[in-house]
Amino acid sequence: MGPLRLYLKSTAMNMRIRMQYPLSFFMQTLAQLVMEGGEMLAVILIVDRFDTLDRWTGGDLYFFFGMMSVTFYLTEFLGRGVTGTFPSIVRSGQLDTLLLRPRGVLTQVLCSDADPRRIVCIAVGTAALCMGSAASHVRWTFLKALAMGEAILAGMMLILGLFLIEAVFCIFSVKSVELVNALTYGGRSACQYPVDIFPRPLKTLFTAAVPFALTLQMPAAFILDKPLFPWPEWTVFVCPLSGAAVFFVMAGVFHRALKRYRSTGS
Amino acid sequence: MKTGAYRAVFGMRAKMELQYRGAVLGGVVCQVFFGLILVSLYRALYRSRPQALPQETVVSYVWLQQAFFRMLLSSDNDLADKIRTGDIAYDLCRPVDMYWFYYARIMAQKLVGSLLRGVPMLAFALLLPKGWGLMPPASPAALLCAAASLAMGLMCVSAMENITMGITMRTLDPRGIQALLNLLMTLMAGNVLPLTLFPDAWQRVLFLLPWTQMLDAPIRLYTGVRETAAAAGVLGVQILWTAVLMLLGTELWKRNRKKLVLQGG
Repeated sequence: MGPLRLYLKSTAMNMRIRMQYPLSFFMQTLAQLVMEGGEMLAVILIVDRFDTLDRWTGGDLYFFFGMMSVTFYLTEFLGRGVTGTFPSIVRSGQLDTLLLRPRGVLTQVLCSDADPRRIVCIAVGTAALCMGSAASHVRWTFLKALAMGEAILAGMMLILGLFLIEAVFCIFSVKSVELVNALTYGGRSACQYPVDIFPRPLKTLFTAAVPFALTLQMPAAFILDKPLFPWPEWTVFVCPLSGAAVFFVMAGVFHRALKRYRSTGS
Repeated sequence: MKTGAYRAVFGMRAKMELQYRGAVLGGVVCQVFFGLILVSLYRALYRSRPQALPQETVVSYVWLQQAFFRMLLSSDNDLADKIRTGDIAYDLCRPVDMYWFYYARIMAQKLVGSLLRGVPMLAFALLLPKGWGLMPPASPAALLCAAASLAMGLMCVSAMENITMGITMRTLDPRGIQALLNLLMTLMAGNVLPLTLFPDAWQRVLFLLPWTQMLDAPIRLYTGVRETAAAAGVLGVQILWTAVLMLLGTELWKRNRKKLVLQGG
């Protein structure tokens, strides 16, 4: 079975596993709704009080929030093996089993878990995108739709790449290192808002080092007809590739780290 | 009620919480990073449209919320595990009141956990330049009132946590209900967005709910958003809610004792 078919089959299976306890699943999904609904409410209340944020209108802010929300939680939904379960795979010694099987370790980790509770977060994000698109009177074109699709895919790869940093630390330290998460979750919190409102150090961090601005926000700003950076239009389609680059670099580092892996033993 | 046993539990739990100082450092760095992001955001918002409420009170609100984050969100994982595995049966044999036993534990955990993180963070925030960091208290009296109110808030949030745990004893699975109640708390206690930025009409209602008694009330007294003259009223509402939550909690735990389902075998 090819990696893709294997992944689709396991994801379908993992979703069924999660839904074996319907009441618990329902409560946990409701908790997710409270969490992401609360974040969304915060943006709505901010727009209600402040109207604008520098050159961005309320509609623009909803749109940026929606982009981040949809991308981040799609990643947590489909890539839960990397974003959530990997530390426990290492700690329990399960990683040894993965190394024995005739499939890539990263493929197997991705196949190990899926998190359908995040669907409500994705729904909240989609609602924010629709609100933003309507309030900012976005005129959709084929090119804009293409930019959005690319941004979401590249953004998902960027987020997976960031979680892989934590995974690499975990291979060596066994315990999960929450400090590494600061970059990932901090990036999510900060880049719900357009990056040009932040002071230079943060702006540089989220453009050059953790490129949420290049992968998610340049396309979002292009869709809103308010370019984020004064660069030519074709850069909107090239810059998101930096997200994919982060993923491939980190996947390489991950595989090198595995060569140094010494089992947790018992 | 003999208090010796509960004081001993409190002391033991406090000592335990002091053990993981390495984890604390990581936590502090994380919270400071988040604090800086949020402060930058509110500064940008104020730049676009200044408000009647001074910017420095919002910035201070953010720092105080980040510093005492651990007071709001930390639960007794041992207890959750005991509920899940059925080991809670052993607790029923102890010659102490289970509610106050766990109340002392969670209070020690929240107090020491938040002081360990809060003190270095607030020291850092006080050193930041004006407009970025924590402002000094509105007046010496305001600081005293805020400290009293924070102590009351700690008792209130501990009582709330015991209610969450009491419900978990019924549902047996800690993940759903605990996450739901805790996330609701972070929103309503002002951790997601400072409550001072909520619409004014909402604030009048929120002020009367239990969640604002935990951190929002002391922060308002510290920053002078609520006058020191109103401190007696603020403390009164806090004491009232703490008493109500304790009553509800002890009643819930007493009933749980009679129909507790033990898992495992």
